[in-house]
Amino acid sequence: MKNKTITYIVLLNLTVLVLLAIFIPHLMISPGKLIDAHIDLTTDCFACHTPFIGSTSENCTECHKVPEIGIKTTEGLAIDKEDKNVAFHQKLTEEDCVACHSDHKGVQAFRPIGQFSHQLLEPDVEKQCDSCHLNPGDSLHQKIKGNCSSCHTQENWTPATFDHDKYFRFDRDHTTECITCHISNDYSNYTCYGCHEHSRSKIREEHVEEGIYDYETCVECHRSGDEDEAESIWRTKRMKEGKSKGGTRGLYRREHDDDDDHGEHDDD
Amino acid sequence: MERSLIRKEVLPFLVMFGSLILATVITDALLHQFELVWIGRWLGIPGTILILASFLYSMRKRKVISLGKPKTLLTLHETLTWIGALLILVHAGIHIYTILPWLALVAMLVNVISGMTGKYLLDRSRRFLAEKRGAYSKQGLSDEAIEKKLFWDATTFDLMKKWRAVHLPITMAFAVLGIAHIFSIFFFWQWK
Repeated sequence: MKNKTITYIVLLNLTVLVLLAIFIPHLMISPGKLIDAHIDLTTDCFACHTPFIGSTSENCTECHKVPEIGIKTTEGLAIDKEDKNVAFHQKLTEEDCVACHSDHKGVQAFRPIGQFSHQLLEPDVEKQCDSCHLNPGDSLHQKIKGNCSSCHTQENWTPATFDHDKYFRFDRDHTTECITCHISNDYSNYTCYGCHEHSRSKIREEHVEEGIYDYETCVECHRSGDEDEAESIWRTKRMKEGKSKGGTRGLYRREHDDDDDHGEHDDD
Repeated sequence: MERSLIRKEVLPFLVMFGSLILATVITDALLHQFELVWIGRWLGIPGTILILASFLYSMRKRKVISLGKPKTLLTLHETLTWIGALLILVHAGIHIYTILPWLALVAMLVNVISGMTGKYLLDRSRRFLAEKRGAYSKQGLSDEAIEKKLFWDATTFDLMKKWRAVHLPITMAFAVLGIAHIFSIFFFWQWK
């Protein structure tokens, strides 16, 4: 067979292939099957695509009205059980559907829906994690409400940065609810005056008796219910500060005289 | 001298082609290992640019340009197409979602094979056949006996010549299918 004949055959085949790409693009060039919900659009690329622009959010919202997402279907039927993970669509700062969604199987790997950015949410909603996320319900999280960002980031659930033992180790005398120490579920702060055992007056009395006036930041010395450990930490701390300040007991007393006065008022 | 043409010339060619496939598998595995699969999506661009750059040799050969030594450009042609083909192969991955890009890929592979045929088989086997023929002649064999002894080698050589002739039309097929694929991407790409 001559080269020219081969060339003509190749050209003829190419013409057929290009025509097929034009007339049956869903088979020739579509990057994978559409999601089931859009399967009816398989042969109508331009239902979503605008040539040389892409899929605009306007195309999506023609059918998916933003105020109705998660509430009504595109056919206007009420959705019985609202999906918490869908209703946030009404709280997005901008409508950019394809930032998260892709309908073609071949593209989903590069634009997974899990890549959702929390920064797309309105600032007040961004902080309300439990408006979309469910509490995992384990023994730790059952006791916690809100303020998730103390331990978790918006990128991933794990690793969670929090290790309570670094601050305070629980023992049999401290099997209490989180809220006992973390008032108003504020995990950035704590108090040891939340139970009867540690009333403010009792604690002051015990510490002053030992000549300790700097007792408000409890976990500096009390890393667990072990008092010997607390005493040891306090002695070490006092020695270090004594070296750097040349003896600080008098200073401690002066600094905390005012606190004691306030403390008395607080107790009243 | 008695070694067959297939063992001496075809095997190195297979090694060269096999190394391309192996390099593809390793690159793809590394991208998966380090969760960098997204890079593969973009490798089509440098792959295409390298293959386009390799056409400098084709242009020089057809006197469209007069710059550069043909031998250097041929080496460049071979190197750039090997790397370009590697990038395109990784870009394609093993996911079959649609027909046109896969046809373009098949055309590219046939093209690469036909190109390697030219490099590894044609020139060297021509030389090899001539050496063999000379050696038999020195041994005092008759022309008929020499032809008989060289029958399979000569047949292989003829097949290779025909195969080599496919290189240009298949390049055209690759170019048209590749351009159709690129155009369809530009047409449907999410530009916003």
